[in-house]
Amino acid sequence: MPSSALHVARTGLEAQDTRMRVIANNLANIATTGFKRDRANFATLAYQENRVAGQQSSTETAYATGLNLGTGVSLQSTTSITTQGTLSSTGNPLDMALDGEGFFQVQLPGGRLAYTRAGNFSRSAEGSLVTPQGYAVQPAITIPEGATAISVGPDGTISANLPGSSVPTELGQLTLASFTNPAGLQALGDNFVSETAASGPAQIGAAGADGRGSIRQGMLEASNVNVVEELVDMIETQRAYEINSKLISAVDEMLRNANQTL
Amino acid sequence: MDRLIWTAVTGMTAAMTRQRVIASNMANAQTTGFRAEVLQMTPLTLKGPAVEARAMTDAAVKGAMMTPGVMVNTGRPLDVALQGQAMLTVQAPDGSEAYTRRGDLTVSANGLLVNGEGFAVMGEGGPITLPPGGTYAIAEDGAVLRRDPGTPEAAPAEVGRLKLANPAGTAIAKGLDGLFRVIGGGILPSDAEARLAPATLEQSNVRPSEVLVDMVEAQRLYDMRTKLVATAKELDEGGASLMRMT
Repeated sequence: MPSSALHVARTGLEAQDTRMRVIANNLANIATTGFKRDRANFATLAYQENRVAGQQSSTETAYATGLNLGTGVSLQSTTSITTQGTLSSTGNPLDMALDGEGFFQVQLPGGRLAYTRAGNFSRSAEGSLVTPQGYAVQPAITIPEGATAISVGPDGTISANLPGSSVPTELGQLTLASFTNPAGLQALGDNFVSETAASGPAQIGAAGADGRGSIRQGMLEASNVNVVEELVDMIETQRAYEINSKLISAVDEMLRNANQTL
Repeated sequence: MDRLIWTAVTGMTAAMTRQRVIASNMANAQTTGFRAEVLQMTPLTLKGPAVEARAMTDAAVKGAMMTPGVMVNTGRPLDVALQGQAMLTVQAPDGSEAYTRRGDLTVSANGLLVNGEGFAVMGEGGPITLPPGGTYAIAEDGAVLRRDPGTPEAAPAEVGRLKLANPAGTAIAKGLDGLFRVIGGGILPSDAEARLAPATLEQSNVRPSEVLVDMVEAQRLYDMRTKLVATAKELDEGGASLMRMT
């Protein structure tokens, strides 16, 4: 136990280090379409009970309080902060932004479903609506060769003028997935998230209904990272890291002093 | 051999324990709603007919500093920071009622309202379960409001109410799980006057500048006591050399 202060301070260092990684990741994704910033959650580690309150200190008196020594901190999880990012107009008819809750559904290679807020879609060589990685958006939409004036309604209905017809033809309707606890979704990279036990199962439905957001064609949702906020967090983390390392060197000096003097 | 050496050693041990408490506080300088722990050192004397020349040092965590931490606006509707001395009521793992200042709430997959440490937040009638779908907000008096997606034009309806307790006048203590409980058992009544700040989180109340000062102080005290042990050793050697038959 004599040097356990060293280990407690070490947990602080590790947690600050991980928090810095989270901040760095947020800053790196400042221009990522549909990115949601993460927040690091710290939690106290278990306490060690060295003496129970009420234990006899002498025959007449009992200790009023226990001696509960904390064992430090751990980075327990990251919460994704799902506030809406700014919508910016791009003019590309296949760019879609979600104004409100919900996710686009995408089929990953291997058939697994993933969800994304990034609506920078395009038409593949076969004519399907795909993500930049070439994964098909679900429900599958096929845009025939030569289709013009593609329009996406706020409820996800996609229509276009086909060659030889002056009346718009409906090509299908995009549905959105929503979750009880969107913060519990697992990030997969490439802007995709997948459902977990914590997020609950996906509830599929039309855009603009049951609390789901509506689709805005020709726009993209920017990342919701706020540079100033991240920089302030970064300074805070850096200072905390410094003080923790000072503590380690202080305890180290104490032990060295004891070694040399005794 | 004089007993001075033992007295000095208890002092050394206490200073090291103090350093550990400081380290634990500093490690939690960014834990939401954390309350810094206070270590108290007390002299232990033996009452008796002899002169009171020796006081051993005993250190114990006396309790937690209850000064409020800094409030930071997060913009997340389920983050709450409690104003004044009010506390959130949560269900500890053993099912009992406990209190915390940590208000980063989320809705778990089965609709239970939990805080950042995963403890279920309690209302007047036990843990709060929220119906799925819709957007939630928490009002200043602890009412959980849900805007029904089906009727977006209707006013948000109250679907639950956080039990905000006020520990004023009751002795509470921090337990091994970091939660506060009433000393000797029992629960706190809910306080209708208690208010919270929505979309805000309360930071830890550990003050880094204070940590630095306390740390230096503990370090120097330890060093002085080390010197005492060394001095006691010299005295003892002096006494032993007098006894030597050469």
